[in-house]
Amino acid sequence: MSHSDTIPLHPSSQSDIDEIENLINADVHSVSVLPARPPSPPRVSIPISHSPSPLPPYQKVPPSASPPPVVPAVPAAAAAPAGSSRIGISSDAFGSPPDTLTEPVWDTVKRDLARIVSNLKLVVFPNPYREDPGRALRDWDLWGPFFFIVFLGLTLSWSASAKKSEVFAVAFAILAAGAIILTLNVLLLGGHIIFFQSLSLLGYCLFPLAIGALICMLEGNVIIKIVVVSITLAWSCWAAYPFMSAAVNPRRKALALYPVFLMYISVAFFIIAID
Amino acid sequence: MDRVQPSGENYANPRTCFFHVLFKAAALAFYVLSALFVSSFVIIFVVTVFLAALDFWVVKNVSGRILVGLRWWNEIDEQGESVWKFQCLDQESLARMNKKDSWLFWWTLYLTAVSWIFLGVFSLIRFQADYLLVVGVCLSLSIANIVGFTKCRKDAKKQIQQFATKTIASQFTSSLQSAFSVV
Repeated sequence: MSHSDTIPLHPSSQSDIDEIENLINADVHSVSVLPARPPSPPRVSIPISHSPSPLPPYQKVPPSASPPPVVPAVPAAAAAPAGSSRIGISSDAFGSPPDTLTEPVWDTVKRDLARIVSNLKLVVFPNPYREDPGRALRDWDLWGPFFFIVFLGLTLSWSASAKKSEVFAVAFAILAAGAIILTLNVLLLGGHIIFFQSLSLLGYCLFPLAIGALICMLEGNVIIKIVVVSITLAWSCWAAYPFMSAAVNPRRKALALYPVFLMYISVAFFIIAID
Repeated sequence: MDRVQPSGENYANPRTCFFHVLFKAAALAFYVLSALFVSSFVIIFVVTVFLAALDFWVVKNVSGRILVGLRWWNEIDEQGESVWKFQCLDQESLARMNKKDSWLFWWTLYLTAVSWIFLGVFSLIRFQADYLLVVGVCLSLSIANIVGFTKCRKDAKKQIQQFATKTIASQFTSSLQSAFSVV
């Protein structure tokens, strides 16, 4: 006998639902640690100063099928918006898995910053996960690429003696549109890559070129510029290679990789040629 | 104090509401007013897009959680497929959410997107491709948040219904069983 379709659900039976839920909760949850304060709506505010801190364990939240049955934790936040450091005390119910919905704001900031740093390390620097590219950039984020593209655009714009605005706009548009088009290219070649993951990857691989552009901005000699840019270009291509090649059929590897290298080479020429 | 507002009380999280609105308003205001004060397009672009990105982060991670109890994100699972995850507070907390807070949340979200569309039309008419780029970026950020939270809200409603159905069903079953055991 299936009950699920014989029980009509009316919005007016809200109080009944609450009552039943309380009964269920009283049975099921033996431990629920209530915060020391009486439950009041959580008050948090936004920290303005960021500082990267060691990586807290990234908590995978349970699948959304079961809504977390915790009283919203009351983070005690006392901070002025002027950017002093934050005191965040959060208490969850110990019986339930850690829960990002009620964490203090500072935790969110730290978690996101740590994610950016770890993504950068995974993509750009040698590490044991490079053989498994899909796993390496599992926690993609677009903040890193955003910063690098803006930084590269600003550096190029600063180096240019004339038409600074155009240089910046063109650099930004080309990099952003280029990343999107390259991703589409891989997808159309029948590759298996997630759209945002690929955007994130291509953005992170701009990091060496951004460093190269910075050095070129500070250094005037053309020979040095060429050397530095070649090194950083090779580094960028090396960083992008495993991810892109793993995503497509081996016979189509060159078709997927060639546009990526082309884009990075054009950016490198742009960096050298700007004056 | 003798007049009861339909929403009940004042804003429950005034500081969060303030920040929720602050970055949106700052991005729009800077974009509109910058033409009067700042001559360099680069500065306009960087500051506006940076404010819009900050606003996106604040709405997604902070005010969404605190004002309406919703959260959405994207994960890549073991098979390498992209999964959109939605999370909401449990039902009694959702019911306890301040009405004014959520009203402010949703309305500013929609209004910002509409304003950006409006400004985009302006720059389109004046054939300014670079300003259109700025508007495009800010608009896509706003729309991403709107879509994410709307899907999250629908998912939350569905979950609540499922949960309520399940609890009513199990309560019904247990009361039936107890009735039969008595007999």
